[in-house]
This record gives sequence, structure tokens and C-alpha cells, in this order.
Amino acid sequence: MSKEIDYVDWNNSIEILNKAYQADLFVIIIGPKGTGKTSLVRNFIKSKNAKLESINFSLRTRESHLIGTKTLTNGTVSFDEGILIKSMREGSILYLDEINAAEADVLLRLDEALDDRRQIILKESTGGTIKAKQGWFVVATINPLTHTGTKELPPQLLSRFPVRISLEYPPENIELEIIKKHVSGNHDSEISQAIKLANILRQAAAVEELFYSPSLRETIAFGKLLDTGMSTKDSAKIVFGNVYTQWGNIEYQKVADIITSMFGN
Amino acid sequence: MQSLELKNESLIEIATFLVRRWSEKENIIIEFSDKMETRTRLKENRVILTSIQKRLGSNFEKYRQLRTSIWYESMRIKFCKKILSNDYGFGFILNTLETLRVEQEGRKLWKGMDKEIIFNYTHMFVARPQLHTVYGKARIVEGFYQYFMFGALKGEVQSSDFERIKKATEFGKKIIEECIKKNYDTEWLEKNVNVIIKILDIDSLLTIPISLPFMKAGMMISEKELLKFLKVIAKNKEVDFGKVDSNAILSGDNIYNEYQVLLDENKKNDKKGIIPESIGIQIPNQINVDETIIYDINLINNLKTKFRDLKSGWKEQYFTSGEEFDVENYIDENKPFFSDIKKSIKTKIVILLDHSSSIASDAIEYKKATIALCEVLSVLKVKFAVYAFSTENRSVICWSIKPDNVKWNKIAAKKLAQIVANGATPLAEIYDKMFQILESKRPDIFLTLTDGEPSDSDAVKNMIKSLKRLGISMIALGYGPNTIRSTTIANNLKHLGYEKTLAVSRLNDIPKRVLSILGQV
Repeated sequence: MSKEIDYVDWNNSIEILNKAYQADLFVIIIGPKGTGKTSLVRNFIKSKNAKLESINFSLRTRESHLIGTKTLTNGTVSFDEGILIKSMREGSILYLDEINAAEADVLLRLDEALDDRRQIILKESTGGTIKAKQGWFVVATINPLTHTGTKELPPQLLSRFPVRISLEYPPENIELEIIKKHVSGNHDSEISQAIKLANILRQAAAVEELFYSPSLRETIAFGKLLDTGMSTKDSAKIVFGNVYTQWGNIEYQKVADIITSMFGN
Repeated sequence: MQSLELKNESLIEIATFLVRRWSEKENIIIEFSDKMETRTRLKENRVILTSIQKRLGSNFEKYRQLRTSIWYESMRIKFCKKILSNDYGFGFILNTLETLRVEQEGRKLWKGMDKEIIFNYTHMFVARPQLHTVYGKARIVEGFYQYFMFGALKGEVQSSDFERIKKATEFGKKIIEECIKKNYDTEWLEKNVNVIIKILDIDSLLTIPISLPFMKAGMMISEKELLKFLKVIAKNKEVDFGKVDSNAILSGDNIYNEYQVLLDENKKNDKKGIIPESIGIQIPNQINVDETIIYDINLINNLKTKFRDLKSGWKEQYFTSGEEFDVENYIDENKPFFSDIKKSIKTKIVILLDHSSSIASDAIEYKKATIALCEVLSVLKVKFAVYAFSTENRSVICWSIKPDNVKWNKIAAKKLAQIVANGATPLAEIYDKMFQILESKRPDIFLTLTDGEPSDSDAVKNMIKSLKRLGISMIALGYGPNTIRSTTIANNLKHLGYEKTLAVSRLNDIPKRVLSILGQV
């Protein structure tokens, strides 16, 4: 089992989450992939000692996953509660990951539950009203719209999350600190180089010179490969370089060249 | 030895990418010159490189030198506040000091450059003139350059001059060390140049002769000789670079792969089939064009978002029968079965862009919209070609921006950026010029983007007829400053025989309209 890694709260996100929790305001975290959105939420929930219900949205997420569905067991019809209803009853923290990956109509019922009254009419079952228990709290994350497969979040739903945390890639020294929590060996200077490389590639992707930008996951993977004794250049090629081959030789070579000039042999 | 010309588009693409990444500056442009030594114009964001053909050694060696030159210039862009002219003593000495400073600063991050730097030093040293061939006071400056950069002299100087050179070199190295240690910049270094000028006893405005390798004939040297030079350099640079393996440096294995890619791309470019020039279509050939000004990243991102369904290639649709069953839809009495429908664009399209004078006032916006369109088409992996027409020296020219068999890249964007909107709209003449290409490539759609009526409408009617006969679907997109005007243009175009005509009144809508046409096919 992997051990829990401490979250490096470099832009005060935990504090904002805490304040939002106190004020009973729901939170949405916006940021590109691999900037630590999920780690942030996991860490926050741990500090609250609360129960967590989470769901990862995709194109295939259905309303029934949120609300629930009728089932037939031994001749009796019963209702299996979905994750939204369950968390409302329990008063737990509901984590909606990549909420904008779902089709907009799936999210319609969320509107109802998330407004000020914090209640939902369960028309699928008995038609009774489910009122959220004290302490019910919702955190959602969205990827920026350029991310493949993401949809624009309907504005009325967006307004249900008045606290918005923007999570970008951290500054270089912070990224180093984060990676160090994941690796055991001492490769500070090599990792700093890799972070610099990642930032150069991110910058190039931002101006459409490259098709892909590496995330924190990649810089962490780089550190972990160094732990296994792999050479710096090989690790860099494997983690950062090879992915570009899918866009053709020139694309790959551009990046390979940057890697060579940075790490040599 | 591979006898390939390396001045191709892939080289420019990689070189531009490298200079921008190494210098961390987005809008640097690269230009090759046969007559000038490598120099950077900071204010113009321009790097002028001695062309690859004019360098010494085998093709691979030439490429290695070019690559290292690009690195040095990138470091200059990053670390120098100003770059003076090399033509006179003061500027030459400051630039020499700066070369060493930026090299040391740059090597802190770009640790993989060491071998290439030493290799480059070797060639630089080979290319320097023998001291006895330099006359007057310039000789002592050349001597200083050689001793300072390579730790050795080519030929001899008077002993008193040598003492000066040694003293100036020691001082130069000392101030560079101090400059880096205390984080000073060009301006601080500049203040110390006068001390070196005094030590060397020269005039700060002394003219320095240009030293270019290709200015001397018959300089080709053998690999053995080169290795000899390399060993000298490696030894003199041991303090900075540590012990190095001279043979490994000479072979340059670590960058051979990328050179190979360039050669492969060259071969690909050779097999192009019909050459557009032979049938009157021209290729814009300036490479020193800043294409970043016609890149509208927001527009591109918006479009990518809008057409993401086409990118994933799949769309979920509901049917009355099928394999996968959805309970919820069944309960809601909708069509309960769903399937994923492949939704990618298989159409081959050729786009012709009007660059007549009427578009001139909106030229940048117009180009931004077309760049965005091309970026999205390339992301969606649509096969497309782009042509444009304009008038130059009273004759209308059809430009090839991107042929269908070449991937969309920044070079194509550079080609579009340099076309100046001018002239009338002689569509028939352009169609005629393009006829052969269209006949051989047979695109599914031929889209003409224009903001006016053609000046030769009867001829256009005939051309459209003959193009339709090839099985090409002729579509026209009329652009006007407002809805009424654009609809009028579209209506007039319709009478010319196009199968479909569309109107746009906002430039930013162009990509959406084009993509929606493709989506329907």
C-alpha cells in the first residue's frame, strides 16, 4: 500500500478550503491536470477527519450514479441510493472529481441539491425530500476547457460553487519540495533540472509549439526513476521525451534536443 | 559523405524551436546569411546565423557548429543587456568577454552542452586566422581573442605584445569570475572593457577585420588534424570543463540522432511529386518572419474546445435498438440503446485565401483567423492544403502556404505571415494556375475564401464548371464587414456556380464556418 504523502500547501489552498467549510460554501478547484487538485482535497478531508464520498466523472457517468436506482431483490423493489443521496444523509464530504467531464444533463440534479436549501426531492424513489445532514460539504474539481473531453460547466451549476480555487503549476522551488516528498534519494540538482525542463515544455505547449505539457506527475515520476538508479538522461527521455513521438519525428526531436542539451550523456 | 543540403524547413523549425526554448523568449526569429558572421539583434528579436553551407567540415560537423552557435546566441539573448557591433575594438572585446560569461552562465543549466562547446571551440580555433596574416593593431586584438578563448595562439607575436595579451586575458578572466559571482550584468562588464583596451594599448574604435571561415579558400582539414586541435583545446579548457574524452567529442554520438531526423525529413521533402513552382505557384521564401503576431492563442483554444467531439472521434448517440442498454433512458421513455458513432473528418480540403487589397486593413485579424483554422484542422488530423493569392509587381501570384502532404507547422505560419494583401480578385486566373495541382490531388472540397466579387466572373464560371467535373465540391465563403454586405457577396458568388456559398461578417467566425462544413460531410 502506498503511504500517504504530506501535501505542500504552497498557495494557501487548505486555508481557503477551511474557511469555506466554516462558512458552509461549496468549493470548486480549477487547474490543469497534475497540479495536485486531488491531493489537496484528500489532505483537507484527512484534516477534517470526515467521511469521504467521491465520484470521478466521465462521459459515461449517469444520473443514477448520483441519485440512485431501483433494484429488484427477492421480489421486492428497493432503492439503491447513489453517492449524492448517501453523502447528504451521512453529512459527509462529497468530492466531485472532474465534474466537467460529464454531459450537462447528468449534472442537472446537482443544481437542486446544491442550492441554499441543501435538499433534493427523490422522485426516483418514494418522492420524499432528502435534507442534507449538518456538515455536508461539497468540493468539485474541473480541468481547463482545452483538456480533451471536457465540457463547459453550466453557469447555474458553477454558481453553486462560489469559492473558486485556481491551482496552477507551482514555482520551481515548491515543485522541488513536492517531489522530494515522493523520492528517497538525494537528487536535488537533477530534479531541479527536470523541473526546469518541464517548465520549458509547459511554456512551449502554451504557445502551441508543442502538443503536450508535462504535469507534476511526470516530474514526480522522474524523481522516482532516479531512485531506482536509472541515469538522469534516460529518465528524462522516458518520462518527458518519448511521449512526443506520437506527433512525429520533428516534434520528438525538438524535445529530445532540449533534453540532450540539458543532460548530455 | 552525405551530400544533402541542410537548409530545409525542418532545420528552420528545429532551430527556431531551440532558440526560443533556450533563450526562453517567444518571438525570436532566425535567419541564415551567406555573407555575415553570426550575430544577434536584441531589439529586433532576430538571430542571424552564418549559413550551414558556409561552415567548415562534414555536413554533420557543420550541423553541430550551427547548433552550438544557436545555443550561444540564445544565451546572449537571455543574459546580455546589449550586444555591440563586432566591427570595432571596444565592441569586439566586450562581445568576447560576454561570450565566455554567457557560456558559463548557460552551462549551469544546460549541462549537456559541454562536449558540443568544446567541439565548437575546435572549429572556431581552426577558422581563426594565423596571426601573421592580420596586420596592424588588429593583430594584438586577434591574439587576445585567441588566447582568451582558446588558451593558445595561431602563430607568433612579439614578446612585448604577448605579455600584454597575457595580462589582458588574466584581467578578462578575473572580471568575468567577479561578474558571475556578484551577479553583475553587461553594463558592469562594459565599464571594465577600457582597462583591457589600455592593457592592449589599442584604440577603442580600431577596425576589426571580419573573420569568417569561408573567406579563406582550401581550409578543409583532415579528421586527424582536427583531433589534434581538439586535444589542445580540451587540455586548455580542462580547468573549466574537467577531463574530457576527445574521441567521443569528435564523434558527437549524442546529437547524431537528431541530425538523422533532419536527413530523413530531407528525403521526404525530395519525394514531393509535382513541384508547384513548375506550374506557376510560388512558395513564400522568407524565413525571418515573426509568425507569433498572427497567433491568437485564445481563439485557437476556443476552437479546440468547440470541436473536441471531432477530436475524440467518437460521439455517443441513442437508438431504438443496439447492444448497450441504458436503464435511465428506458424509464424516461427515450431511445434506450446507445452506441458510439465515429465522428472524424475524412474529407480532403483545399483552402484558397483571398489576399486582395480590400482585406489589407484587417490583414492581421484575417491571418489570425486562418491560422486558428489551420491549427484546429491539424489537431483534428484533417488532410488539408492552403493556398493564397495576392498581387506583386502588377502580376497576380498564387502562393502555396501548406501543401497537403506536409504537416502543418510554424514554417507554414511564417509563409502566411509574409503575404502582403494587395491587388484585385482575378479568381479565374488563380483557379487556372491551381488547376494542375487540383487535378492531381483531387480534394473533396475546394473552399475559396474571398471578400469580394471576382473581377472576371464569366471566366470564373467556366473554371468552376471544369473543376466540378473533376469531382471537386466547390464552396465559397464570402466575408463582408457586416451581415448585409457579406450576404450580398455570398449571393453574388452563388450565381457563379458554386455548390454552396456561405457568408461571415466576423473574421473570428471563419474557422467555425469552415469546420462546420467539414463536420457535415
